[in-house]
Amino acid sequence: MNPTVPAVLAELAGLVMRNAAPDVAASDRANALGLTAALLVMAAEAFDGAAAMLVAENRAFRALLVRGAAHVPTGLDLGDDEDLRVSALQAINARLRQGLIDLHTAVEGVDPDLEAAVWSELVASTGRRRTAGMAG
Amino acid sequence: MARMLEPRLASYIAGKMPQASAVAVDSLSRISGGASRETYRFRLTWNEGGEARERKLILRRDPPASLIETERRIEFEAYRAFHGSSVPVPEMLWLEEESDALDHPFFIAEEIAGFQAGVATLWAEPYVSTLTALGQRKWTILGDIARADPEALGLTGVMPAVEPDQCWNRELSHWEAVLDDDEVEPLPITRAAIRWLRANPPPPPARIAVVHGDYRTGNFLYDDKGGIHGILDWEMAHLGDPLEDLGWSFNPVWTFGRGLAGGLLPHAEAIALWEASSGLKADLAALKWWTLFNCVKGQAIWVSSARAWIDGANREPIMVYPAWALINAQDQATLAVMGKLS
Repeated sequence: MNPTVPAVLAELAGLVMRNAAPDVAASDRANALGLTAALLVMAAEAFDGAAAMLVAENRAFRALLVRGAAHVPTGLDLGDDEDLRVSALQAINARLRQGLIDLHTAVEGVDPDLEAAVWSELVASTGRRRTAGMAG
Repeated sequence: MARMLEPRLASYIAGKMPQASAVAVDSLSRISGGASRETYRFRLTWNEGGEARERKLILRRDPPASLIETERRIEFEAYRAFHGSSVPVPEMLWLEEESDALDHPFFIAEEIAGFQAGVATLWAEPYVSTLTALGQRKWTILGDIARADPEALGLTGVMPAVEPDQCWNRELSHWEAVLDDDEVEPLPITRAAIRWLRANPPPPPARIAVVHGDYRTGNFLYDDKGGIHGILDWEMAHLGDPLEDLGWSFNPVWTFGRGLAGGLLPHAEAIALWEASSGLKADLAALKWWTLFNCVKGQAIWVSSARAWIDGANREPIMVYPAWALINAQDQATLAVMGKLS
């Protein structure tokens, strides 16, 4: 999730502190804390599964990029998932996602099987990223 | 924060009402939501002609950084153009484009009081039994907007002109540029949608119309009988293809889990109401294009909110919520419109 969960939690902590002051108007406090609560619930749900989701997605993207290497011979560094900090996994994920865009563009109308495989993974990706607090 | 604005607001309004004395503002409170403008309600009191008077008003002020960068004059003039028509909107009073009075530009309008706004209350009684009637009003009013003559409304002098065959390209290029500037991580689904949109452009519209730009469930004031009393949030209004608004109203992120257009009506019924009201025919292929386009536009807006927060331009929680709650939902909606979900 972007903005990242740690950055948002730090900001929300400051917001809660400011709203603990007795001279904050009730309507201002209600506005600030109501949405803060919703974000905390979403952060809690994301925390447990974030690393697993990113590792699964990175593996799937790598497999597609290896399979389609002939279409996009850019020498993309596929990286690995040895560093399990979410920030590290996200950085690799962003690189792989850009590689997937390049691959998808290259195979559209050219390699129907690979194109279908990319779409299939994109569908799976949104399923992995879905959380209870999401709209739609 | 809100209390500190009251005397400054009163001073500004006193300057606009030379016939009034004892101009005062009280009960100023911020209305939740509003990531593109800060919205406050307040009570104005004054003396005039020997009588004490009061009026409930709304202040819409630019935040330090907005979810959507827009021209407030266009928003102000759009409201003013439709006031008194079959499209219900609040009366606009004063527009201030300088930052001296209240630190940021703003406008002041009447408050249409006594009605609900937003979607949170819609899904329970007494409102949930009125959803069909509400949907009928919603798409009938949208047809009224599409039917209105922008020139007769005086909006062609405010809103940039567009050639019919360029409506789609202007809008798509604008929002693609927003994505290019603000994207936090690559978006394969949105980029695939953009490629499809460029490869399959829609036909030009039968006529250029006023496009509200954010016509969705939640952006109007409603009662408990299915009536709509104010169409809000015109900050993205522009001239263009009237199908654009219909497409935004069909963006699947606005179904609220109900499988209906805007959470209110079957799509075919909404289209029929819009056609009857607008006098236009909704080309279904073109409507699909505009619905998918609005998935791209939505993604650009959610991404922009993330960017504004990350860059420190606006650290309000409301800027995080669209990014966390809507980016993946918008991706799923895009897949649905493209027919990629089984």
